[in-house]
Amino acid sequence: MIDADDPGDWQLLKGITTDAVACDEKLARRLGNLIAEEPMARDWKEYVIPDLEAEFSADVLHVATSIAAARVESGGGPGPLWITGDDAFHWYSALNQARLALEEQFHFGPSQVIDPGELPPLRRAAFLRSHFYCAIQSLLLEHVLR
Amino acid sequence: MADSDTLTKTRTDTSLEVPWNVVVHDDPVNLMGYVTWVFMKIFGYDEKKAATLMLQVHQLGRSLVWTGQREKAEFYVQQLQSHQLKSTLEKAA
Repeated sequence: MIDADDPGDWQLLKGITTDAVACDEKLARRLGNLIAEEPMARDWKEYVIPDLEAEFSADVLHVATSIAAARVESGGGPGPLWITGDDAFHWYSALNQARLALEEQFHFGPSQVIDPGELPPLRRAAFLRSHFYCAIQSLLLEHVLR
Repeated sequence: MADSDTLTKTRTDTSLEVPWNVVVHDDPVNLMGYVTWVFMKIFGYDEKKAATLMLQVHQLGRSLVWTGQREKAEFYVQQLQSHQLKSTLEKAA
């Protein structure tokens, strides 16, 4: 369960899905284009990439819907957001998409070597969001997925 | 009654016989525990083997996680990409 304490927390959670779709080149294409050898590349473009796109989009939509519903339930104020076992992989996927998109845009690299205090504001905000998403992923991995 | 006029055409596709490698590449985002879990889930590896392959990805930049028939290799790469891991396939040496 995630506890949202105020409207700012809900906005932060909403950021997951905003960040997940922010990259110009979508994740499905970035992954699928790794298959470069013909004729496999042609098949990948025609069949695999569209499937990946649909799958990834569905995960983001699932999370967006869950957040919106929980926010309405709480009246925009303090309230819980439950992630069940059935939901866990959708959440993990959406969070991962968000982190991958932020990495694609900002090229942080390994996070252990970064001091967020030394980053310019926009980059720092993105880094901290990515760190927050990673924390939720770690909890999902430890307590639900595995 | 005439004999069946069904023609059977046999095609030897040697590319299906040549083994193909499934390769996973490192990235700065995917968590090590997640990569291990994905390998266990997709390939049915035990945790020790999955963790060994994960460490190869992490330390060497890439790991050969499976070798076999091309069609199966393509399926595994699709599954790995579906789990958001950077994955490719290449003909085995």
